[in-house]
Amino acid sequence: MAHLRDLPLVDASVPDSATVGEAAARLFEAQVPAIAVVTDDGRLTGIVSELDLLRAVFPGYLAELRHTAFLEDDPDALGERARAVRDRAVSELARKVEALDGDESETHAAERLLHTGEQALPVTEDGRFLGMLSIAALCHSRLDRVD
Amino acid sequence: VAALAVLVFVAALVLIAVEWVHRTKVALAGAAVMVLLGVLEQDAAIEAVDWATLGLLAGMMIIVGLTEPTGVFTFLALRVAQLSRGNPIALVFLLAGVTGVLSAFLDNLTAILLVVPITLVIADLLRVSPIPLVLVEIMASNIGGTATLIGDPPNIMIGTARPELSFVDFIVNLAPVAVFTLVIVSAGLALAFRSQLRIDPERAREIATLDAARDLREADKVWRTLAVLLGTIAAFFLHTLLHLEPAVVALTGATVMLLVAADDVEHALERVEWATLFFFVGLFVMVGGLEQQGVVEDVAGWLADVTGGSSTAEGLVVLWGAAAGSAAVDNIPFTAAMIPVVDTLQGDEFDDGLWWALALGACFGGNATMIAAAANVAATGILDRNGHPISFVRFLAVGVPVTLVSLVIATGYLLLFQL
Repeated sequence: MAHLRDLPLVDASVPDSATVGEAAARLFEAQVPAIAVVTDDGRLTGIVSELDLLRAVFPGYLAELRHTAFLEDDPDALGERARAVRDRAVSELARKVEALDGDESETHAAERLLHTGEQALPVTEDGRFLGMLSIAALCHSRLDRVD
Repeated sequence: VAALAVLVFVAALVLIAVEWVHRTKVALAGAAVMVLLGVLEQDAAIEAVDWATLGLLAGMMIIVGLTEPTGVFTFLALRVAQLSRGNPIALVFLLAGVTGVLSAFLDNLTAILLVVPITLVIADLLRVSPIPLVLVEIMASNIGGTATLIGDPPNIMIGTARPELSFVDFIVNLAPVAVFTLVIVSAGLALAFRSQLRIDPERAREIATLDAARDLREADKVWRTLAVLLGTIAAFFLHTLLHLEPAVVALTGATVMLLVAADDVEHALERVEWATLFFFVGLFVMVGGLEQQGVVEDVAGWLADVTGGSSTAEGLVVLWGAAAGSAAVDNIPFTAAMIPVVDTLQGDEFDDGLWWALALGACFGGNATMIAAAANVAATGILDRNGHPISFVRFLAVGVPVTLVSLVIATGYLLLFQL
């Protein structure tokens, strides 16, 4: 039986002193739907997902609307907003989530991913961040090990 | 036991007003306590629930819930903003007008949920603060909702509690005063907010170029849902002639809407706000407890003593009392408690003037504070989530003057035409 620590976890994290701009760059490079925010000694403080970033970079009212086809890009407003968001501390955006333990099963991880609605969850051991487990990594690893 | 009933009801009102616990939990807990402690019998508790009100609310929730995804309301709100051509006074009047009309024929909370998000976009595009515009819409939603039987929960409760009052009666007796009040209030607010709504003509031109119709996808579905919505509203006008209760009209409209516009019934029924319906269930049971213990009769008797039995004085006390009560707590529980009081007060002789006084007081009173009406709570919540928090006091600074002006107009109207 594989434990989560044996799966292809992605070491995708930023220090809690990083900016939102740095976190966005890390998210893009790491190719995972969420990255961890950790302290200097590697302890998890929260995660930032692609959706969190989307909400921060674009106007908040988009979440209240269902019909926006009439909207055209407003470069000035978008630029102003992006500038303000880019230099914010990532810790302001980070959300606390219940981390998975390296010792836990794939089935439990699948259930947690289903019910939290997260696309990726952090895996920790003794409070220390091991890596992010994405839905794609979990399923790919499972399918890959079939005879 | 009567004291216990009053204690539970007052405690529930306070908890609803301070919002420590969700209002539905408070109402259901209050109802459970009353039944478990024997304030009213189990059978009486079930009988106390006004199922017609719940049916009317649920039906309208389904109808609006299935119309909204077609984009027709976004189209309407955006076209209205475009019509203002960047003139702040025109913008205030047009947004107040569209919110008032949507409130009257959908309901005020729905109207707010439809127009406030699009207002945030309009304000963003025009580079003005959305707060004045949303405040105008809140006031307009409560005033516009006063105009019809389905426009505001207090009216829905009054209309279903007194079958003598038809949809047309509400329009004939309340719409003129609501429209007049809306015009006066909009003018006052446009004047008050003029300095905060200075619009750059360049921004106004940009808004004018947006294609509002781009969101009207699935034209066939738009027409089908609009036909059902307008058909339902027409049936409300004719419900007395058709010998149909408003709840039957709403539920029939909802059923037709499900047949013609819902691809997935489960998903369509998710639009029903169950928390609101259960809130009403809890309230009806608590008010049933007050009635059973004779509290309602005592309050009505006290009101009759205070007013010396004069129907004019009774009407004015009901108007101003309902407004004050609604402002302090929430106009839904307050109206639920006042309906049996007014019923007792009028005695055997039906007096519609008292009911119009209650409707005007509860609906207009809904503008006074942030918690006085569900529409206010929803709108200020949307503002808050989008980085435009509005304090209780700032709301009062607009809500109280608007309520006072509205009540003065309502007083004049009642004295001249009703009492």
